[in-house]
Amino acid sequence: MFDSVLYRRLAKSYLALILSLMYVPMLIVALASISKSRFFVFPVRRYDMKWYENTFSSLQIHDGFLTSLTVAFCVALISVTLAVFGALAYARHDWRGKSLFQQILLVPVFFPQSVLGLALQLWFNSFGVVMSWEATVFAQLVWIAPIVTLIISIQAFGYDASVEEAATDLGASRWQVFRDITIPLLGPGIVSGFMFAVLLSWGNFPLAYFTSGADVTIPEWLYGKMIGGYTPMVPAVGFLSVLVGALALAIGFSLKAFSGQKDNK
Amino acid sequence: MPAEPIMELLGVDKYFGNLAAVNQITLAFEEGEFFTLVGPSGSGKTTLLRMLAGMDKPTRGDILLRGERVNDRPANWRPTCMVFQSLALFPHMTVGGNVEYPLKCRGTPPSERKERAVRCLELSHLPISYYDRPVTTCSGGERQRVALARALAFDPEILFFDEPLSAIDYRLRKTLEKEIKDIQRETKKTFVYITHSLEEAMVMSDRIGVMRDGGLAQIGSPHEIYSNPVNRFVCEFMGEVNSIAVTRGNGGELWCESMGAAITPPSSVETSFRQGTLMIRPENMRLVNPDEGRSTNVFSGELFNEYVLGSRIQYQIRCKNDTFLVERLREAGLPKSGDQVSFGWNPEDSMLFPE
Repeated sequence: MFDSVLYRRLAKSYLALILSLMYVPMLIVALASISKSRFFVFPVRRYDMKWYENTFSSLQIHDGFLTSLTVAFCVALISVTLAVFGALAYARHDWRGKSLFQQILLVPVFFPQSVLGLALQLWFNSFGVVMSWEATVFAQLVWIAPIVTLIISIQAFGYDASVEEAATDLGASRWQVFRDITIPLLGPGIVSGFMFAVLLSWGNFPLAYFTSGADVTIPEWLYGKMIGGYTPMVPAVGFLSVLVGALALAIGFSLKAFSGQKDNK
Repeated sequence: MPAEPIMELLGVDKYFGNLAAVNQITLAFEEGEFFTLVGPSGSGKTTLLRMLAGMDKPTRGDILLRGERVNDRPANWRPTCMVFQSLALFPHMTVGGNVEYPLKCRGTPPSERKERAVRCLELSHLPISYYDRPVTTCSGGERQRVALARALAFDPEILFFDEPLSAIDYRLRKTLEKEIKDIQRETKKTFVYITHSLEEAMVMSDRIGVMRDGGLAQIGSPHEIYSNPVNRFVCEFMGEVNSIAVTRGNGGELWCESMGAAITPPSSVETSFRQGTLMIRPENMRLVNPDEGRSTNVFSGELFNEYVLGSRIQYQIRCKNDTFLVERLREAGLPKSGDQVSFGWNPEDSMLFPE
């Protein structure tokens, strides 16, 4: 039955259906952003690039873009740093309460993010921390750092730990082992962890909404415009935002491909 | 005066919780010898080696390197080097990168590093063209050689081996055993090797230490250990052996219950025991021609299985409730499975271990 022509056709159509359900909305957003009319009507009658011109010249969007980018890179840098040492603590050392700590650390990942955002806002308030993009970095770290730690831990568990011991035995100091052996072998995990952190932070709305105060990230700007004052700049920014994500992915993949090439030289 | 030992262990213990993985070991390695520690899995060989290399600290006792206490000196400060069971090659480096790594840590200039790496590759029989190959593209045997070259590049005073050949097929293992032995002879370095394969131990070592439950059961040359084991454990561990439970009668004669026969013991035997085990190696057993007229330690039984071991053949012979292994050279006119045969042994070739 599984190799009948009908079955294969059905399977293919099912696949096509799923893929279009996933990607057609993105396409519609792209179309909406180049519609001349201020409100979205389908099919689009007249196209215009003016919303992109407006987008690029908008100071608000400019600021939002910079804020989002700064938050994403701060989150990625800090979470990767924490994750490398966290992963090594998990993979290379035994200590009391290790598995309990692991569970506690992962709980925030399963919280509804709006609840986590609210909780962090109340917490920051009670400490007198001013809501700003810095607070957002902290809030997103609570959620993203455990995920990145998981990703890098997989890498740390994935290679034979005796190579580090062997390097020590061959006369390497702790720092030399870390620089020459640990970091290169964790490399693929560090790259994926960094990418994940950037992408998760870039698209995150609820944590930023509660904690960024006067600073506005791109998802917050989109939300604000949807609530009051839709213009096709919303889909334009949305589409550009997807492009930024795709760019980050492309950079990540080429980094991986490059390091793979170096290995097979 | 004998030379000072290069490394000495004085009453070394290693506890994991309440479990003594290594128990009261006192041992000295001579400069330039090939010493092998053998023992079943879990006998504490690897734990002992890790303490010698500086990766673990003894719970009690002292480790001396040329007379100096080195208990607390970490691995990177000891002039010793280990070839790991997993080999622990650096997968992100080339063959050359791996071999040069110890020199790089030491700050040797690159040109000198390469020169030395090339020499070490030669010594471990790897073509120089491998220098630039990623180590991940090497085969199992080649990786073995890279690991050896890397350890040699370090130029250690003692080289430790943690069962490096256990994952390699038989033929290649035989070749590598000989090569490791050759390198030891050539470099005149002290090699301390651990393995659970007595064959490996016999081929390579000047001295063997047999480990059991964290302690040393016997130390001696391969010949001594094989021919004069101190107890049943060592005897059984060092090779196939026939064992017979015997009881000593009041007149000093040995009686074997299961065969219902008297047995002549070896001449040098202590007299203060009642129960014991008599052990005879299969190659010391002989098939006896019934016309020969000999009567001491001759029994008959049914030959029910034969194993060809290359130039030799091993018979399994059933006699009452016991099974005996008899080994001899293969030649024409030998008995076949199902034949009734007589077999026996020279009393002086048997070993008696009182219970």
